[in-house]
Amino acid sequence: MRLALAIASFVVLIVHGLVFHDQFFHRWERHQTAYFEQARSLSKNPRERAELEARAPHIEQIIVTSFGDTRVDRCVTCHIAADDPRFAGMAEPLKTHPYSAALGDVQRNGHWERRHKFSDFGCTVCHEGQGRGLDNFHSHGEDEFWPEPMLGYVTQANWRKDFEPHLKGAAYMEAACAQCHTQQDFAGTPHVNRGRKLFYAMNCYGCHKIDGISEGTLGPDLTEAGKKFKIDYLWESIVEPRANLDTSFMPNFHLGNDDVEALVIFLKSRRGVNFAETTLDRYKAHIENVAVVIPPGTAGEKAGEQLLADRACTACHKLRDRDGGIAPDLSYEGLIRDDAWLMEHFKNPRSRIPDSIMPTFRFPDEDFERLSAFLGSLKTPPAPAAADVTYQQLCERCHGEKGDGAGKVAWYIDPSPRDFTKQGFMSSKPRDRFVTSIKEGVPGTSMPPWGRTLKDDQVDGVLNYVLKTFAKIDAPSPKQHNVPDHNPVATSDASVSRGEKIFLERCTGCHGRKADGKGPNSLDIFPHPRNLRNHWFVAKVEDRRLFDSILYGVQGTAMPSWIDYGLSKEDAGDIINFIRGINPSARSEQPHASN
Amino acid sequence: MSTAPDTTIWTTLKELPSNVWSSIFRNPLPNTDLERSSTSFTNFFLHIHPVKVHRNTLRPIYTLGLGLISLFLFLILVVTGVLLMFYYVPSTTQAYDRMLDLRGTVAFGIFLRNMHRWSAHGMVAMVFLHMCRVFLTGAYKKPREFNWVIGVLLLLVTLFLSFTGYLLPWDQLAYWAITVGTSIAAYAPLIGKQMQFVLLGDTTVGQEALLRFYVLHVAVLPAVLVLLAAIHFWRIRKDGGLSRPQPAEAAAKPMVYKKVVYGLQGFVRGPFTKVGNVPDDSVYSWPNLLLSELFVFVLTVSVILVVSLLFNAPLEQPVNVMHPPNPAKAPWYFLGLQEMVSYSAFWGGIGIPGLMVALLLGVPYLDRNPKGVGRWFAKERLLANTLFLTLVTLNVIFIIIGTFFRGPNWTFVSPF
Amino acid sequence: MPVAQRLHDNDTDAGPRTIERRRLLAWLSSVGLFGSAVLAAVSNLVFFKPRVTYSPSARFSIGKPDDFPPGTRISRDVERVCVVREGNRMAAISTTCTHLGCIVGISDTGFACPCHGSRYDQDGTVTGGPAPKPLPWFQVSLAPNGELEVDKNTQVDPGTYLTV
Repeated sequence: MRLALAIASFVVLIVHGLVFHDQFFHRWERHQTAYFEQARSLSKNPRERAELEARAPHIEQIIVTSFGDTRVDRCVTCHIAADDPRFAGMAEPLKTHPYSAALGDVQRNGHWERRHKFSDFGCTVCHEGQGRGLDNFHSHGEDEFWPEPMLGYVTQANWRKDFEPHLKGAAYMEAACAQCHTQQDFAGTPHVNRGRKLFYAMNCYGCHKIDGISEGTLGPDLTEAGKKFKIDYLWESIVEPRANLDTSFMPNFHLGNDDVEALVIFLKSRRGVNFAETTLDRYKAHIENVAVVIPPGTAGEKAGEQLLADRACTACHKLRDRDGGIAPDLSYEGLIRDDAWLMEHFKNPRSRIPDSIMPTFRFPDEDFERLSAFLGSLKTPPAPAAADVTYQQLCERCHGEKGDGAGKVAWYIDPSPRDFTKQGFMSSKPRDRFVTSIKEGVPGTSMPPWGRTLKDDQVDGVLNYVLKTFAKIDAPSPKQHNVPDHNPVATSDASVSRGEKIFLERCTGCHGRKADGKGPNSLDIFPHPRNLRNHWFVAKVEDRRLFDSILYGVQGTAMPSWIDYGLSKEDAGDIINFIRGINPSARSEQPHASN
Repeated sequence: MSTAPDTTIWTTLKELPSNVWSSIFRNPLPNTDLERSSTSFTNFFLHIHPVKVHRNTLRPIYTLGLGLISLFLFLILVVTGVLLMFYYVPSTTQAYDRMLDLRGTVAFGIFLRNMHRWSAHGMVAMVFLHMCRVFLTGAYKKPREFNWVIGVLLLLVTLFLSFTGYLLPWDQLAYWAITVGTSIAAYAPLIGKQMQFVLLGDTTVGQEALLRFYVLHVAVLPAVLVLLAAIHFWRIRKDGGLSRPQPAEAAAKPMVYKKVVYGLQGFVRGPFTKVGNVPDDSVYSWPNLLLSELFVFVLTVSVILVVSLLFNAPLEQPVNVMHPPNPAKAPWYFLGLQEMVSYSAFWGGIGIPGLMVALLLGVPYLDRNPKGVGRWFAKERLLANTLFLTLVTLNVIFIIIGTFFRGPNWTFVSPF
Repeated sequence: MPVAQRLHDNDTDAGPRTIERRRLLAWLSSVGLFGSAVLAAVSNLVFFKPRVTYSPSARFSIGKPDDFPPGTRISRDVERVCVVREGNRMAAISTTCTHLGCIVGISDTGFACPCHGSRYDQDGTVTGGPAPKPLPWFQVSLAPNGELEVDKNTQVDPGTYLTV
């Protein structure tokens, strides 16, 4: 035991020594000593040389309180030569901070004078990083838990490797400049300016709110995006909108890297607070609730077509030679929609198509009127052509070139375009139904009434083409089920509450507790469960079809035939009363055209 | 006694309360001498007391209960201090506001703060008087020298506790008192400035000083004090209880130390082995000593309660670093020092106080006269008592001058 | 060693060699433990002395020489320094009273402390009151970027000026 104790005591002594030694001889001391030596050799003044000789390494810091929370920047501990002009050619960290006219520095009598003095600004307000750190890993912000890595210079270990090359470069620092220099066309922040222009040109402003710039409510508020998120997250959110939220319906705009970079820099500059503002400015803006800023270049009397270009509708829609690849083709709008529909749809797209992802733009009414008028004027019908060409021109965009409902814009449409290759579905519905869907459209969905531009024989032709080519059947052969044409169960409070009870027990797993089709299973099912609050749709659909779907299911989809699970006709009647009950406008007469 | 094998669950439950009670309190409330002995011996809290104490110990005129009063004041300080900790924040921006909250909105806040403040002043005074009592009764002499040294250390810790606590309200009174106090510390040769820097955590009194003083005040110093106090009480037992006048015939008796191990009781080697040799003028701790202690406790608490009801602890303006008051005075127990400093910075602040502490620590080793223990103002100790009282009086006079007779720029003013 | 080493030896039957060995081991253990204790204690002292404080840095810039016209004495309360320029010579005198740390104000004859009445002349020498030491002078130097720097960590003799 004594021997063991003696050995252990010695070991503990060594360990104590190591612990003690670890707290001395830091790297920054070596940097500082190197600086003192080099400065001494560069100095011509004996007094200065003596002072440098006597100088010992110390932690140097700049404490800045003018920019929000107190910043303690210790960068100058290693970068001690940052303000010594003689070190311009040295290697980091003993390199002079560059002077540049772009930063506002001026030359006087052959000497540069800094506009942004370090004693006033510190370092992190421009470069970000961690001011209080004293080793590379922490002070540069390589630590993944530090929310502000050095802009454009540092990437963190958990960032995606495929993004990293794009996230470096001095341009990213413009995001910090814009914290004070908020003017729209400030010469020193070209990337921010470009990003702002893109924010309008790609219609980001329609969905996303940024205080003082836009009022969109469909997407997250980006007023403080720069404060909340790092640049890799911003990049990812733009190029892969569903990377972090599976249910996001933000379109992928397929932008080039330069555009994404500009947008990221612009968003990174959004910190919610402008250091150049006074408290009074901010309060005034808050109580006056500054209205949306109309995107530049669109004031005054503009023709509808010009407006459409200015509002960048083709960032999503297709018109003539421009195609955003996200929303339907507008070329035939005048034929398939009437002015009243267009106007209402503009004011609030969800008033006509409840699950539309089109943003609600807060344009002035005259703009809407002009836009509606312009779209209404697009009345040139497609040239008469063979069924397959007609399909290509009018249907393929949504239903896909293979007819599988995976068209170019299909992902952005809810309910999804029908998959015609589902033979079970296609053959279980009466032909009349398909004809009606094509001619009159499906209200509450993006399927327009093509009958207004297609003649009956064209309609038949396209339908046959679809059935043969995609569904691979000649004609549907639906089974006749014993379902009533009209709901025999009278509408009453008792029936509705019975129906609600059954609905809550059986249906919410797919159709959701709010009957909006967003139940927990809905994401795993394709086609997605029907939104039963789509009052346009519910108003149009007949009781017979509802009975059929509920009791005997919908082939080709996940809707089971509930009669096999013990649901009776009366139960179905109650459910139908319930569904109609939660769509009140379905009962009233529509003042406008119903499609 | 139910030993029958058919004890039912009901009997178990019925007997439960008394079983619980007797498992905690194994001895009954004492009625016989044996039980009185057992209680002192076997109870965790009570066994700091000996089973029997000398009559002299309980004479109020002898000790005036000063040591006990100091202890109870400390207990009040700990309890009120911990309660205050639930609302106080040691931040230069928040401390003063929290004091206002304690005064204004916290239930009993103003009362607790008063209790804490007046107990603190009281403890400094009582500890000092206790030291005077011990000196004037010669109770520091052999074998109690080391206990005296511990006592002096306790005095210093008490002063330091009071000093660190003084800063916490972060008002003008606190800030400048501590600025003055720590500047005095800087006069120490060679290490003075370094000491001041480490104490304050900065070159001037600021957030660092507030934080350091807070940690010292609520954690480090109380722990040190409790440790020293525990040793202090242990030493009283080991030294044979409180000092008392020697009975004339026992004066020449030599001590006999046996080497045989008696078990626990045998470890007591002082002049007070109980085994078979019970002096006549001792009484049982239970209930006599305990009653006296309880009485002193009630008295202390009552006085503190009344004083806290009648007088409010001061809270002056919030700290204004640019606006030193004129004059800026240290806490009252350091005013004697400050008065002396105004004559000579080093001697007044470091030299003389250092000398006084050194003398205090050395007194039991310098005064080897074994006579005069256990009596106030024993004639055999005239020299020692006179010297001591002179120094005490001088200190008190300096404190009085510093408190009442000094005005702006430390010039003489009349308090009338 | 003829006797096999056991964990618990009886003191009574230890031979002289064993005792010698034990003494050596005890000495080694003591060295190790005592040394560790010393290192730990020193580490604590190093811990308590702050390496950096949040008050203004001891070395700070006061601006360019042109900011101080000749013949001026400008007091900077935050850094507790009075910048003096006589002709082309510059100096920095501390405005912390050497008595008990109050801020001295500039007076016609030099400096005056409001706390306890200390008086200093233009160079910081004590002319009255309880101040025990003169006001220290701090090193003023010209930084490479053309600005003046005062270093409160370095005291210079009174009367030491920087020529600009």
